[in-house]
Amino acid sequence: MKVDNSLPLEYSTEENSLKILGFWIFLGAEIMLFATLFAVYFTLENRIGNGPSGAEIFEITPVLFETFLLLTSSFVIGLGIHAMRLGNKKATMVFFSITLLLGAGFLGFEIYEFVHYIHIGATLQTSAFTAALLTTLGTHGLHVILGLFWGLFILIQIKKRGLTPETANKSFIFSLYWHFLDIVWIFIFSFIYLKGMM
Amino acid sequence: MKELFPLKQVMGFVFSLVLTAVALLVHFMDMSFAIGLTVLLITAFMQAGLQLIVFMHAGETGDKKTIYTNVFYGLLIALMTIFGTLLILVWDM
Repeated sequence: MKVDNSLPLEYSTEENSLKILGFWIFLGAEIMLFATLFAVYFTLENRIGNGPSGAEIFEITPVLFETFLLLTSSFVIGLGIHAMRLGNKKATMVFFSITLLLGAGFLGFEIYEFVHYIHIGATLQTSAFTAALLTTLGTHGLHVILGLFWGLFILIQIKKRGLTPETANKSFIFSLYWHFLDIVWIFIFSFIYLKGMM
Repeated sequence: MKELFPLKQVMGFVFSLVLTAVALLVHFMDMSFAIGLTVLLITAFMQAGLQLIVFMHAGETGDKKTIYTNVFYGLLIALMTIFGTLLILVWDM
């Protein structure tokens, strides 16, 4: 295995560089997944039938907490990657742990939100609007759940094996995924919640 | 300790909080739908660009061109899908 020491650890072999590029291409497909969900949502957002409208069910407080938690976790995982490039295993693990805790906090608020919606009668079956809303939010939420487990396993690997070209590469790719979820949330925050409450 | 908090990323985080606050004005201030939506479009895409450049290190390696081509292509198809759908199904054109 040829190791190029002039590059950060996560890029240090050709295989590693290709894996990162491959993940970017996967993210391109993820952009499309969420684009179709947004297209569906924008088409159906006024088809509320006998159910509630967005303005009636959206609450700013949990959404603000969710946004702040996810933005901060995205920043903290960035610090984690920075610490990883400095070769500081302990700091990397601390930042990754904080990231996952913030992610779990986000998920807690989102679960509260879903329970609340169902409680007030905005279920998946209520109207075209609620179906599109819950599918879009749910797809993002599922990505976060997956990310929590993925991140946890990477954390365990760093603890066991240290910062090697392999674990560094996995960590970096995970950070790309996590930032991407933050970007998707920004669009949900802006064009579902804020637009819906305007 | 200080070396663990690079200025670029801290500034990026502060800027993303500012952009979020600006987006929130749409909710807390009384403005027309068109102005509000314009504000949201600007803040959301700036946030996305910020994440991409500061936090995702999109432009750091030799794959820079490929990565940006891939992202812009994804974005183009995404916007075509969304606005194409709106054109046909909502705006009735």
